[in-house]
Amino acid sequence: MSDVPLKNPGWAGNTGEFDLTEEQIRGDDFVGERPLDGGHSSVSGTMPYMLIEKNPEAELFEGEYQERLKKILTRYPKKRASLLPVLSMVQEVRGHVSPESMDRVAELLDLSPAYVRGVTTFYTMYNKRPVGRHLVQVCTNISCNLCGADEVLAAFLRHTDTELGATSEDGDFTIIETECLAACGFPTCVQINSRYFENVTPVDVPKIVEHLRAQVEESA
Amino acid sequence: MAYPYVSDLEVRVISKYFGDPAHRRIDTYVERGGYKALEKALALEPDAVTDEIKASGLRGRGGAGFPTGIKWSFMPKEPTRPHYLLCNADESEPGTFKDRELMRWDPHQLIEGCLIGAYAIRAQHVYIYSRGEFFEVNQILARAVEDAYAKGYAGEDILGTGTTIDITVHQGAGAYICGEETGLMSSLEGDRGEPRVKPPFPAAVGVFGMPSTINNVETLAAVPHIVMNGGDWYRQWGTAKSPGTKLFCVSGHVQKPGNYELPLGFPLIDLIENVCGGIRDGNQLKAVIPGGSSVPLINAEDSSICMLDYEGCEEVGTMLGCASVIVMDHKADIVKQIRRMVDFYAHESCGQCTPCREGSAWTARILRRIEEGKGTEEDLDTLIEMTDQMVGTTICVLSDSVAAPVQSSINKFRDDYLELIRGGERAGAA
Repeated sequence: MSDVPLKNPGWAGNTGEFDLTEEQIRGDDFVGERPLDGGHSSVSGTMPYMLIEKNPEAELFEGEYQERLKKILTRYPKKRASLLPVLSMVQEVRGHVSPESMDRVAELLDLSPAYVRGVTTFYTMYNKRPVGRHLVQVCTNISCNLCGADEVLAAFLRHTDTELGATSEDGDFTIIETECLAACGFPTCVQINSRYFENVTPVDVPKIVEHLRAQVEESA
Repeated sequence: MAYPYVSDLEVRVISKYFGDPAHRRIDTYVERGGYKALEKALALEPDAVTDEIKASGLRGRGGAGFPTGIKWSFMPKEPTRPHYLLCNADESEPGTFKDRELMRWDPHQLIEGCLIGAYAIRAQHVYIYSRGEFFEVNQILARAVEDAYAKGYAGEDILGTGTTIDITVHQGAGAYICGEETGLMSSLEGDRGEPRVKPPFPAAVGVFGMPSTINNVETLAAVPHIVMNGGDWYRQWGTAKSPGTKLFCVSGHVQKPGNYELPLGFPLIDLIENVCGGIRDGNQLKAVIPGGSSVPLINAEDSSICMLDYEGCEEVGTMLGCASVIVMDHKADIVKQIRRMVDFYAHESCGQCTPCREGSAWTARILRRIEEGKGTEEDLDTLIEMTDQMVGTTICVLSDSVAAPVQSSINKFRDDYLELIRGGERAGAA
């Protein structure tokens, strides 16, 4: 992530100063991205869940991901309990969890495809269809709503020229409403892929969108 | 630069190092006296640890306020099967943002609390069930757990005492209902997060069918301090029935929103006026939800006498819940906000029980109708009657959580509803 100055970009350690760098906001020991193989098996289930690059055709459970899968399987007394972390891993690699991916997971964990379908569709965070490179989730629940979340949502839609829930033509953005992100003291909270942007006001939105577009270019 | 906002009135026990990134490092944590409580606990009998927590009067910080020591004592004393400690870090009650702060600023405090708790209930495995959305928080927590393993505070033969306790950080996938203890267990087992009927209680049949105890992050974060300093020390704050300190998450229309650690029994009005700098833009206070979106809201009059402890909130007809104080000024649109909250519950209802599944969806529709000026006065009676049937008729209390804000808002802010209804009628006639 670049050091583009943004107001509280994902870190509530400050209260409105604008020109803070990543380092100033997160402190000297922010962990950053974790290794793809999941690190120690105790934490192998906690991983990035949304990356800019989303390849629906990518191979599942290969190389480092296979290592991670092995570690996850050691942490639960029953195989079925690995289902959520495994689905998260599928989403990380492919960007969404397609019916084909669900079948593959079912086979892997000795579950019925219908069961995996039932679980996947229960949880909001598993994208059942492809989403844009940046999935922008604006909290519009009570605390953020009291402080103008609806205007923030409208600003995101306007500046990315998309409809709520749809993906922009260039494939960069999908904007959705989300439920409480547990950052109520720092409204409005917006989760963009894996990262929180806090204290967002409509004025900040064009800058954030610009920042996100630059990220896409960087990764291309 | 201080943590977003701090106040002189605070008693910072578990939030002492909020805002200090260095504290996330295990070396700093140990230098500042960290993991000493674990050492002390491991030298005691498990039951002696539980007794100390009992003596402190610590009550569960997840919302229900059940005494933690007593909960721990329900676990079998002679384990014949594996025991599990579950840490509920699936914080998603609208208005609540304390667990996230506890985990990202002081992850080792939580890990130490988890290890002590596991030792007290004779568990060899702790699952920290964290929200999937907490990507950054989970990264910090994951590093901290790895460091704890590397330094011998977790895993096999902890500190050479022969005790083995594993910790696994498990990530949820976006379902509010997984914060309900039996829903969390279902989810941890790889199922849909559907709550289960109690009894059997988790201490008898919990996760994976084994005896389990579930504690909130904030509860476990307080444990090392109590073990280190004793139960009596913790009782110097708070009231006789609600001892200790509590994080208050203040959001909404105050000048300085944020987390404040205060002794229980603190007056609500002081929290708003003196700690949080009063209402924004010099506006008037209209309503307060003192315990997160699931509890009844109160008006300005009740707010002026409400004391923030489990009993004090009950006296004014509401609940402390997880102490998530949502403040609304006179410009707030109560009907819209209640409708938004009910939308949330309708979305998050797991769908097992009919009163909740149907009730929440219909309540949301009627409220939307009123909001759009198409409601009638009978709609208010329908809402009361319908939500009455949603209380105590379901497996878990999500359904009750819909009834609380709807009924309390109709009772205390009926004029707000009537204004929309009459405004709509006038527009229709014209």
